[in-house]
Amino acid sequence: MSDWLDFIPFVPALAGIFVLLLAWKQNDGWRPWRLLVAWALLATALAVGWQALGPVRGIFIGITGISIAAFLAVATNVKIRPAKAVAGRDVALEPSDRKRVAWRGWLRGFLAGPGSGIAAMGVGLMWAVCTPGAPQTRMVIGGLMVPVLWAGGMAWTLSDDKIIRAFLVLLGVSVVSLGAAFLKGTLS
Amino acid sequence: MNGKAKRQPSLPIWPRAHPPFVRAMLAGHSALGLAFAALIFLVCFSGSIAVFAPDLGDWEQAAPNVVYSGPLDGEHISTIVQNGRKLAPWAEDASITLPSKTDRHLSLLLSPDLKDKAHEPKRWYADSAGRLAEVTAQAPFTGFIAGLHTSLHLEGGVGGFIVGAAGVALLSSLISGLFSHPRVFRDAFNLRLGGHKRLQEVDIHNRLGVWALPFHILISLSGALLGLTILIVGILALAVFKGDTQKAYALFSGPHPVEDLRPAPVPDFQVILADIKIRAPQGQVAYIMVEHVGTVGADVNVNVTTPTHASRGETYVYDRAGKYYGAWGNETGTLGQRIYMVLAPLHFGSYGGWPVKIAYFLLGLSLTSVTSSGVAIWLARRRDKGRPAPRFERLWTATVWSQPFAYAVSGIYALLAHPADDDQIIPIWASVTALSFLMTLFMPPVRLSLILRGLAVAGLLALVGVHMREVLLPALSGAQATTMMWGGDIVMIAAAVLLAISMKPNIVTGVHRISHNQHRERL
Repeated sequence: MSDWLDFIPFVPALAGIFVLLLAWKQNDGWRPWRLLVAWALLATALAVGWQALGPVRGIFIGITGISIAAFLAVATNVKIRPAKAVAGRDVALEPSDRKRVAWRGWLRGFLAGPGSGIAAMGVGLMWAVCTPGAPQTRMVIGGLMVPVLWAGGMAWTLSDDKIIRAFLVLLGVSVVSLGAAFLKGTLS
Repeated sequence: MNGKAKRQPSLPIWPRAHPPFVRAMLAGHSALGLAFAALIFLVCFSGSIAVFAPDLGDWEQAAPNVVYSGPLDGEHISTIVQNGRKLAPWAEDASITLPSKTDRHLSLLLSPDLKDKAHEPKRWYADSAGRLAEVTAQAPFTGFIAGLHTSLHLEGGVGGFIVGAAGVALLSSLISGLFSHPRVFRDAFNLRLGGHKRLQEVDIHNRLGVWALPFHILISLSGALLGLTILIVGILALAVFKGDTQKAYALFSGPHPVEDLRPAPVPDFQVILADIKIRAPQGQVAYIMVEHVGTVGADVNVNVTTPTHASRGETYVYDRAGKYYGAWGNETGTLGQRIYMVLAPLHFGSYGGWPVKIAYFLLGLSLTSVTSSGVAIWLARRRDKGRPAPRFERLWTATVWSQPFAYAVSGIYALLAHPADDDQIIPIWASVTALSFLMTLFMPPVRLSLILRGLAVAGLLALVGVHMREVLLPALSGAQATTMMWGGDIVMIAAAVLLAISMKPNIVTGVHRISHNQHRERL
């Protein structure tokens, strides 16, 4: 298969992204139609990729192509601000300013790292051990759940001000999930 | 109804987030990003280059000019393995890699038994007549970059775990970053450069982060799972297999012929390849791996890739006589097996051709840039609030701009010193990185950034010069030069030119994009 075929999904992806850019720029009566056409073209990029390059291969090449097309579209829309421009209303919200208390900082770090990691590992393990289906599928799905849940737990514990609640939830999840996995103790 | 109907406000595409929620998410996003920034940067930067690892290996070494041009023939493979065994009678395992569109060589690798410490694996290229030419050239620089990405060159699974944890932190940053970005659609295509530095960095950070989000999630998730596999499988084995991890891994490999160590001739590859043609008519044999090659119980694993599949190919198992035992299930097995076998190709971009590799390189650099601009936003915010962090700014500048320079020096060392092992490059890379950090003691960030970029430009050009003298010119005289050899040099010269352009004030490339006046003030 020629490498040039990898460009096939890129063509509708590029068209879709530029129609999306047009819809974003021009807020008139045509906007809903432009949005519809844009998303249809992006869906076509994935469908064409699936058809021409294979299901998994084609879809991922399509997704990659959409990102590159979007970078090109953003690059065409660069604006140079005057050197003296100030932040004004364009500036993003400020992060919440929490009181700095040492024990809370350490506990938050523990919960985001090992705490969420143990809980995520427990849920992934429980999924692998306790759900029905082929053992390889349960192992891989359970394995994929670990980084996703760990990352989610990290994001949550680092942003939630109610840190004791986060501690109790993670402790409960860890005890229940690891307990269930080790009690069953078999993949069959 | 009296005339004009009141216009209904349109529904927002992106859900409106409460400011306190966004502020809390931003706090978590900042804390996590700062804690893992350096590690994520290191892994992303090395990963962006590691996408080209096979090509870089080709650039780095002049291989013997031995090309296999005939059709795939079982008898020919038998001859090659027999010839190899005459040269290495101690060989326990054999691996034959067939020519592909990325590598025109047919190579034979013979390895000793794990307990045999007296011999080292040997590799040859075979021609169409079955003659073997030993491959002595190494690619330590390529190994160094790949090792830095996958394990930070740390032994015993520790490095893999740290890289996996960085993947989790990155994934978490993507989640919190998305929740703390209430203007995803309103600012979808805005890229406003110049003026207020923080706004500029926010635009770059958010545009690169949002539009490449599916790729970033894919890379961080697959990277995290690949890095954490040892830990996850270890705990699973503890719960289910009384700690025997081999039993867990065995679920993902195929059947095996009964072990019988009595001596015997090499397997009947003609029968095996004829059977493969029936089982996978669309497939292309990528490699053949034979365990216990000179014994009655030889275990023959034939890996066959199919053009429309993303996985590394299905593996079919045969015994020495060519009796079919079954397949591993990489492409035809359970959902779990199929997902597991596409994770690495999806992570490294090896499932596509050169357009995918270039896209992965660009998107990988965008992730590196998102990490870098995230810290730049935090620093700018501190400065805006009247609480600048100059020491941290210098350290971060050294972290970012030391790497192109350190890589260039490491490459020069690899080409000149020919280290036997890629681990020997680590002290060179670490010394250059440490030297860059030492420079933070007596240099403001902008000057430090300029000097390190200048050194990187000089280093890259020197690397090209050394490569021409040590590899390209000798290869040209021996007709061993490949497209990648001079192509790699052109890419490095282009990278040096881009870096040099980024050093010019008011040019909006690189990490420190500032106006000319700001530049003069901070210099």
